[in-house]
Amino acid sequence: MTFTGLIGRTFLFPLRLIINACVAMRIHPNVLTFVGVLVNVAAAVELARGHFIRGGVIMVLANIFDFIDGKVAIELNAVSAFGGFWDSVIDRFSDIALFLGLIYLYSHLGRTDYVMVASIAMMFVIMTSYTRARAESLIKKCKVGFMERPERIVLFMIGAFTNRMAAVLWVIGVLSVFTVADRIIYTYRELRSTEQAVV
Amino acid sequence: MTNPATLPMRVLWNAFFWTYERATWQYDLMVIAILAFVWLTPPAWLGDPMASGNGPIGWILKMLNADF
Repeated sequence: MTFTGLIGRTFLFPLRLIINACVAMRIHPNVLTFVGVLVNVAAAVELARGHFIRGGVIMVLANIFDFIDGKVAIELNAVSAFGGFWDSVIDRFSDIALFLGLIYLYSHLGRTDYVMVASIAMMFVIMTSYTRARAESLIKKCKVGFMERPERIVLFMIGAFTNRMAAVLWVIGVLSVFTVADRIIYTYRELRSTEQAVV
Repeated sequence: MTNPATLPMRVLWNAFFWTYERATWQYDLMVIAILAFVWLTPPAWLGDPMASGNGPIGWILKMLNADF
């Protein structure tokens, strides 16, 4: 087993207990999704105030909601097309909120360079989601590129808990540029092969 | 047989054009590289607005300088 697989399995056990509790209380998954974004906004406020550890702890809490909503939907038999759409939209708000917290902090510190780094990273994070959504309206699947939401969230937490947010922003920014490029290249290739098959 | 001279280019291309799943050895390797960058790069090199100091690389360099 790989070490990232082992970490995933380790964290799955406590999450399983939370999922079971939510299922027992019959909490609607869309409510969990919405609570997740509210908690993420609270994390963003802490980041904006420069309280990284507190922000990190709140981020952990927010992402529990983020992680379990889909699983609860399956267990409650409440999977719906709107639920998937709602989840994706709310996830974008959560992403943007965290970046806005950092942009506020860096602008408050007078660090225009890092305001730009965070803004450009935010732009490519949004484009990462957009390219996949748009590509999947044309081709069956477009799941290439490394920097997806789970990777971003874990990196944000690492940056907050170890006070290495600047390095994390560079990693998220650069790898998100690559991910967007990967998705454009992949979609181009897929569409071209489909067109050639037709001709 | 593939040309060994093209191996570094293929590795770079595969790292850039990422198609591996999570929990594969390639994914683990990428995670290690990212964590090494985040934790080992001295915050001062990146001009980190919130962290200061030279980090682990700085300590090693300082120790090496002290020895010689």
